[in-house]
Amino acid sequence: MRKFLARGVAVGAIALLALTACSERSDGDGAGSTGSEKGFAANSLIGVALPAKTSENWVLAGDLFTNGLKEAGFQSNVQYAAATSTVADQQAQISAMVTKGAKVIVIGATDAAQLTTQVEAAKQAGAYVIAYDRLIKNTKDLDYYVAYDNFKVGQLQGEALLKGMKAKKASGPYTIELFSGSSDDNNSAVFFDGAMDVLKPEIDKGTVVIGSGQKDIKQTATDGWKAENAQRRMDSLLTSTYSSKTLDGVLSPNDTLARAIITSVKGAGKAVPVVTGQDSEVESVKSIVAGEQYSTINKDTRNLVKETIGMIKELQAGNEPKVNDTESYNNGSKVVPSYLLEPVIVTKANVVEAYANDPKLAPLTK
Amino acid sequence: MSDAPVLLEMRSITKEFPGVKALSDVNLRVRRGEIHAICGENGAGKSTLMKVLSGVYPHGTYFGDIVYQGAESRFSDIRASEQAGIVIIHQELALVPGMSITENIFLGNEPRRYGAIDWKAAHRQALELMARVGLREDPDTLIKDIGVGKQQLVEIAKAFAKDVKLLILDEPTAALNEDDSQHLLDLLRGFKERGITSIMISHKLNEIAQVADAITILRDGHTIETLDVKAQGVDEDRIVRGMVGRELHSRFPDHTPKIGEVFFEVRDWTVRHPISTDRMVVKGSNFTVRRGEIVGFAGLMGAGRTELAMSVFGRSYGVYQSGRIFKDGREIVLRSVSDAIANGLAYVSEDRKSLGLNLLDDIKTSVVAAKLSKVATHGVLDQVREYRAAEQYRTSLRVKAPTVDEGVTKLSGGNQQKVVLAKWMFTDPDLLILDEPTRGIDVGAKYEIYNIIQQLADQGKGVIVISSELPELIGLCDRIYTVFEGTITGDIERRDADPELLMKQMTSAKKAQTP
Amino acid sequence: MSKIKDLQKSLFAGTTSNARQFGMIFALVAIVLLFQILTNGLTLNSGNLISLVSQYSYILILAIGMLMVIVAGHIDLSVGSIAAFVGIVVARVMQDWNVPWFVAILIGLGVGALIGAWQGFWVAYVGVPAFIVTLAGMMLFRGGNQFIGNADTIPVPQGFKVIGAGFLPEVGPDTGYNNLTLLLGLLVCVAVVVREWKARKTRREMDADVAPMWISLIRVAVPIAVVLYATLRFAGGRVGTSFPISGIILGVLVVIYAFITRNTAGGRHIYAVGGNARAAELSGVKLKRVNFLVIMNMSILAALAGMIFVARSAASGPQDGLGWELDAIAAVFIGGAAVSGGLGTVSGSIVGGLVMAVLNNGLQLMGVGSDRVQIIKGLVLLLAVAFDVYNKNRGRFSIIGSVSRPFRREAPAVPAPRVETGQEPAKTPVAR
Repeated sequence: MRKFLARGVAVGAIALLALTACSERSDGDGAGSTGSEKGFAANSLIGVALPAKTSENWVLAGDLFTNGLKEAGFQSNVQYAAATSTVADQQAQISAMVTKGAKVIVIGATDAAQLTTQVEAAKQAGAYVIAYDRLIKNTKDLDYYVAYDNFKVGQLQGEALLKGMKAKKASGPYTIELFSGSSDDNNSAVFFDGAMDVLKPEIDKGTVVIGSGQKDIKQTATDGWKAENAQRRMDSLLTSTYSSKTLDGVLSPNDTLARAIITSVKGAGKAVPVVTGQDSEVESVKSIVAGEQYSTINKDTRNLVKETIGMIKELQAGNEPKVNDTESYNNGSKVVPSYLLEPVIVTKANVVEAYANDPKLAPLTK
Repeated sequence: MSDAPVLLEMRSITKEFPGVKALSDVNLRVRRGEIHAICGENGAGKSTLMKVLSGVYPHGTYFGDIVYQGAESRFSDIRASEQAGIVIIHQELALVPGMSITENIFLGNEPRRYGAIDWKAAHRQALELMARVGLREDPDTLIKDIGVGKQQLVEIAKAFAKDVKLLILDEPTAALNEDDSQHLLDLLRGFKERGITSIMISHKLNEIAQVADAITILRDGHTIETLDVKAQGVDEDRIVRGMVGRELHSRFPDHTPKIGEVFFEVRDWTVRHPISTDRMVVKGSNFTVRRGEIVGFAGLMGAGRTELAMSVFGRSYGVYQSGRIFKDGREIVLRSVSDAIANGLAYVSEDRKSLGLNLLDDIKTSVVAAKLSKVATHGVLDQVREYRAAEQYRTSLRVKAPTVDEGVTKLSGGNQQKVVLAKWMFTDPDLLILDEPTRGIDVGAKYEIYNIIQQLADQGKGVIVISSELPELIGLCDRIYTVFEGTITGDIERRDADPELLMKQMTSAKKAQTP
Repeated sequence: MSKIKDLQKSLFAGTTSNARQFGMIFALVAIVLLFQILTNGLTLNSGNLISLVSQYSYILILAIGMLMVIVAGHIDLSVGSIAAFVGIVVARVMQDWNVPWFVAILIGLGVGALIGAWQGFWVAYVGVPAFIVTLAGMMLFRGGNQFIGNADTIPVPQGFKVIGAGFLPEVGPDTGYNNLTLLLGLLVCVAVVVREWKARKTRREMDADVAPMWISLIRVAVPIAVVLYATLRFAGGRVGTSFPISGIILGVLVVIYAFITRNTAGGRHIYAVGGNARAAELSGVKLKRVNFLVIMNMSILAALAGMIFVARSAASGPQDGLGWELDAIAAVFIGGAAVSGGLGTVSGSIVGGLVMAVLNNGLQLMGVGSDRVQIIKGLVLLLAVAFDVYNKNRGRFSIIGSVSRPFRREAPAVPAPRVETGQEPAKTPVAR
């Protein structure tokens, strides 16, 4: 009896398991999708994989995606990468979205070059992949890129820096320092190049001098976009170069770093120079209103998310989404069709009108 | 002296450990203001008795009564006994080397003011206490910067800081040199005049005869007698007689030795201390072992017996200085334990839990641990061979365990010791060194272990037994070396072996016989 | 209760330490089933299983080495940095010097061995605690990664990607499955049968009780059922996918290291050193050599893990390996190793690592954010080890304890019996 029972259980278990484990090869839709598809169901799952919550912008973007996709009738799955083992975590999140059958996956990449395997898998599974804000490199499976025109951002920062310094001191030469973003972020170089596009002629003319002489992007990089790293570098610059000299301006690629730089300067008991920024973070807007940080860039995340969701809707309907740049962004494997938005520079002069439509920032400017 | 009121009386104290009765019906009466010595061999129960008194073994884990200052005391822990003024100073000093004298004196007992330590008061009191024990040092000196003798004084000062009424010293002079010892003994006499009572445990019988007012002798967990030194005119020989007793040969199996040629010889063996390398722990020792012979090493704690044995066993102790080892007439050099094992040596350590066994292992893993190559082919273990080897020892040594898969922690001390013996028998040694092979083992298991030792000798192996129990050495060994301060001071044949003679040579540097 | 214990023993051929491991296996099965329900069947979906294996194979490879390090009584904090360092070296070598990818892998392993020798030297021969040496290594090789890579991401060629993102080729007739994966599954099934047969033979040779035939049948049937199920799942994924190559590398390593730790003298020495270093030394174990090799081995495995990750990511980046050491250490401890050393098994650590992996994956499939995922993982680690410590404390040797309860036996590992009674055979009495 006992033997019989045991054998029965074993055989039964094998049979049961084997039955449930049928091949998925037939039901998968096989080859990857191309632009000629006829769209997908209106309530499909849309995956959004964003980097770790290191800046307000990503948090805001996540909320906007969650709400916006819901309003548009999609199911959404918005994920942030963990603070440690960020890349691996994002890879796992993207794989999970593919498994769940997401039709479109929007990726704000943690590392521009380390997601090719996941993007490929997504494509194979029939999903569209949109790179959000950061371009994903070395893959032909990326469908679209949506971002603010980052070269333009850099140019605006450079112009603001010059304008700000001129307003304080009528004539040069002006002494400045340069900061750039994390070197593993594709955008860092774009911002920097844009700014240098404006600053280089002035440097060559001698009206603008880089006090420390550090003008190579490798010297100016801020690892992981971390405020502490920028602050540390600024501290040492102040000690090494500015014990007697005056610092007129600092090119900072974003607000978090700008505030770190200002903190460092104030800590050293120096006058706050003209510092640029980007992202319109709350603390920086306050700082601009108070007259400390000189400028920031308003790359309204609302517009960027709105544009992305618009793209997803077009894809759902089976249409070709609108792009406005089909030549600038080569990711190493292909030229990625891109939609670029225009950034706006914000200084104390235009801060009120710039944020008039922003429910969070508008009250701060009054 | 004997008419002074009784300060402490311990009545019919009995304390059992699994399989061992450490104390049975022990009585101790200590009068106020006397120096009371407790004597006995290692394992006689002295330390256990003091642990009962000081609350290390709390009330309820032993039988009997403690009457202290006229009232029955039930100490639940050391704190409780310290509160009553009973302070123990252990052989291993409980001082923090990196802290100053003041900090150590008041450790856990710091004078406070508004919650913070009042260092001013601490300093003042420390100086006072140091004066009382005759310690002239800057109270800010770190403990590690003063000698052992002075450290001992700090310990005593620490006891005074706790308002001591009964001071217990466990082997207080074991680590001290002549001068420091003398100073300490004088100090004890000084305390006596000030009405402080001391209990002193010591192996140094000359010191005891010199300072003690009364002596209680323990043997095998029993009170043998209490001697009044002045009234009875006690001398060292009298104490020795009490300690070793008379019935010596009854506890050992009958055995006719089959002794062959000398096959193992150590010449001029000298070893330095591993940390304080200027100190010689073993000095110019010479000994020989014959085939089929059981050789005993007698000596007091700290005499250097273990150090001698371990340094011979592949230099596993100390820093080798000089000396040569011959086996079967050929010189051998043993640089590591694996060399020693390969040359047929085995060393069963004194402390089987920390040195002999991996307590996470089961029996079979332990048995094969010292010679895995015997159950492996090209480094791959053969489960079956391992199992069979272990099983064979389990049956032949009568290890009380259902299977060889049993974890060694579940075994009693005697059975653990059998496993350790099996581990070394498994290496097929020619010479086995057994360090305190019967420590902490009950009488029945001891008998079995003696049997095993004799069988090993009968197989033509040489066996060295290190033991602190003189009756054991006399009952078991064919020849006994006495060791004192790292030197071999005597070579005594079985027929001449006599506890009093051994004790004398173990406690004096005078060489009675050259080996 | 004792009958259940007997059964547990004969089913799992186990001593008490195995009971703990099987508790973990049940926990793993429970977690898988739980998520299978919570995610509406996505957890055991082919694609998900495949990505699960390739996502965690490198962490599990680290866990193998870490297990040995922890058993020997050490810890290695540098593995993530070493992985990143080797990754960037290999990527650089391939990019700048056009070295073929298989040569690059050998170079990577060589660099790992050198780093291991460096760290092993300090730990074993100088006697600096491994915690310190590897903490130093963590900084050293993280800096080395940035120095060599200029904090850039460096892509690797297609061929190299095989070890991290590769699959078995499609060969033979169209069965609707990946044929090589099916073959692999069959091989594992055969191995399960052979192993049980050998175990029975060994028991017989040891004159021990051989479990009744029906128990052996269950012990063969259940794993085979699981293997078959898994095989069909892995073989039935999207065309072009199969059981991942990185998973095969992991499997081979698990088999090799499980054998080394259990069945060789060298493996036994690691446990002896961790259990009681002094006793091991007095038994003739060459302490220094064991410590050296264990630390060195860890670095080689870290090098391999780093390369697999780089291959999977198609590029070596400055953030590679961040926090990996902690994942590996967590896997080992969840898998039942003791913090003080001397205890733990390779298979236990793999199960521990899988528990973490499935947990992570399942929560991600449910759309739980990484913040909450980390909170849950932290709690699981704490509870798993606390459970262990609690059990150990109750069974720990103490003088007073052994006076009062000399014959008490160790408490059985708790979660197992309850789950088990749900299984049919547990209700039937066991004939022995």
